[in-house]
Amino acid sequence: VIDSLVVFLASTLRLSTPLILAASGEVVSERAGVLNLSLEGMMLSAAFGAALGAKSSGSPGVGLLCGIGAALLLAVVQAWLSVRVKANQLVVGIGLNILALGATTFLYREVFGGLSREVIPSFAPLEIPGLSRLPFLGPALFRQTPLVYVACALVVATQLLIERTRFGLSLRAVGENPRAADQAGIAVTATRALCVLYTGLCAGLAGAFLSVSSISTFTEGMTNGAGYLAVTAVILGAWRSFSTFLACLLFGAATALQFLLPALGVKLPTALLVMLPYLLALLAVSGLMGRSRPPAALTLPFRRGGH
Amino acid sequence: MTTQAWSAAWQWPRSLLKPSRILPLCALVGALGVGLVLVALSGVPVDKALAAFFDGVAGSGYALVGTVSRAAPLALVGLGFVVADRGKLTNVGAEGQICLGGLASTAACLYWGAAKLPGPLAYVFPVALAALAGGAWGALAGWLKARRGSSEVITTLLLTFIALQMVYGAVQSEALLRQPMTSSSTLPESLEIPAPTTLPLLSSGALPLHAGLLLALGCVALFGWLLRKSRVSLELYSVGENPRASLRAGLAVDRFVIGALAASGALGGLAGALMIQGDQHYLTSGFSSGYGFDGLVVGLLSRGSPFALLGFALLFGALRSGGMAMEMSAGVPSAVVVVCQGLIVVAVAAAAALERRRA
Repeated sequence: VIDSLVVFLASTLRLSTPLILAASGEVVSERAGVLNLSLEGMMLSAAFGAALGAKSSGSPGVGLLCGIGAALLLAVVQAWLSVRVKANQLVVGIGLNILALGATTFLYREVFGGLSREVIPSFAPLEIPGLSRLPFLGPALFRQTPLVYVACALVVATQLLIERTRFGLSLRAVGENPRAADQAGIAVTATRALCVLYTGLCAGLAGAFLSVSSISTFTEGMTNGAGYLAVTAVILGAWRSFSTFLACLLFGAATALQFLLPALGVKLPTALLVMLPYLLALLAVSGLMGRSRPPAALTLPFRRGGH
Repeated sequence: MTTQAWSAAWQWPRSLLKPSRILPLCALVGALGVGLVLVALSGVPVDKALAAFFDGVAGSGYALVGTVSRAAPLALVGLGFVVADRGKLTNVGAEGQICLGGLASTAACLYWGAAKLPGPLAYVFPVALAALAGGAWGALAGWLKARRGSSEVITTLLLTFIALQMVYGAVQSEALLRQPMTSSSTLPESLEIPAPTTLPLLSSGALPLHAGLLLALGCVALFGWLLRKSRVSLELYSVGENPRASLRAGLAVDRFVIGALAASGALGGLAGALMIQGDQHYLTSGFSSGYGFDGLVVGLLSRGSPFALLGFALLFGALRSGGMAMEMSAGVPSAVVVVCQGLIVVAVAAAAALERRRA
């Protein structure tokens, strides 16, 4: 039982990591008023870019950079269209997801060919000296791949960015009341665009984690809704960085339970476990469980002088 | 002919060339062009792929029927988006409303005695139930918006993921809708619905064009007229523009919000019933396969015009049909069509916004 608990904790952390990485970025841009449904597509492109980079260079580090580049590419399009051109954020996001799914599937078949589950170079687990020797907690938490630790650092960095910096103050203002922010001399468009790019960076890490860290291969549509789950974590986390982190851990645990419960002989429909995150988030936004209010200008484009 | 009539006749073609129509058209053509380049890159001769595409869209009566029956649910979902949009509400949850409609329709056809009802009631009852179920799913988002102040963008999205899992759960469990397990290879899907509950065919010939098309056209005509001419539509518009003023003017704002999302959801539910009782005839996990999101885009692009709505529904239906044909008979990866769809959505949304900015 202890052993399976260790496995459960370790896999919870591993399954939460892509959500933590992606959601940390999404918190920032949603606080600035941009909802990126394209998070899913960004992660998928990053997973593919990282796999491609790692395969052709033989180094997971280069793969990681390629992954971030691929996600940033989509982030630039999302930022330009939804912030500058002021196209409908949700539709642009949905379109980019379809595009990313098609493009990665197409390129995967062209480059990797067929359904080869080719193993690509990936990051080895990094044992934290000392801590990894701890009984129970050591093997569960401190023998993970480097990106897991990066994810935890990113949560702290994001929290500081939003709450403690000048830029954080600007982005919160832009997300709550862009008109007032504009009148106070904050560059609304530039602030929002930067926040979307930050999301792209984080989504890049998240996607790369999937293909060159968690499992060493790329499969078609491998994100399988993780991007939407990260958006949901932001909602359940009430648009705050640390609560979002907790929500991601909860979702990771729910996913890990899907594998643990059958092993323990517990019969629970998997549909219920998969549904749980969305149900909790729904309760949260409806105020039936805590109070979770989105930034006032979320999804609304800003036009100076107009409405 | 008077001068006036002459000048009117002269003006007509010019209005077609207005920048507002050119930009989205260019976007569309551009996206399709990129698709052709990708086809060429994948090594399939472009002419062969194009021939397969058009064969799949309208090469035979059978193909045309396929395209039209894919367009019908897209038109219904798009219409639902437009109805909610009239009150400045964004229903992103059509995919979930389709799921609820499909669930209710399948359950009614198989287990709630619809097959034993006399005559047309056998298929009308499940369709009506599907509309109710989709409507309830929409109304739930409406209620949360009106009473708890939750953004409908977020709640409809979350409700979609819940609904997708409800379908998955329902076809996984024999206590719900899964067909009885006779062997270990019994697939997780429902039984086929009985013949009396399927939508009737419009022609007695070989073409399987079902009555769902009439239902979709009827809804588009009805709601198109209501949206333009009815008092309720105007009131809904005022509620969306300025809820506070509308409340002062004596409008029951909450009811409009809930009602608009319920109507929007009911149209999604109808689309679900069409897909089950008209085309697929049994429920599988993921049977909605993105129709809700495609339909949302159809509704957004139509910008309230019923004719544009039908046109875009046909376009997206054709893309699905042609894409499948290209894959099957010309060996083009269906991913190319997916890329095309994504490009069209992004490009046309961008073009619409650019043109609004110019105006």
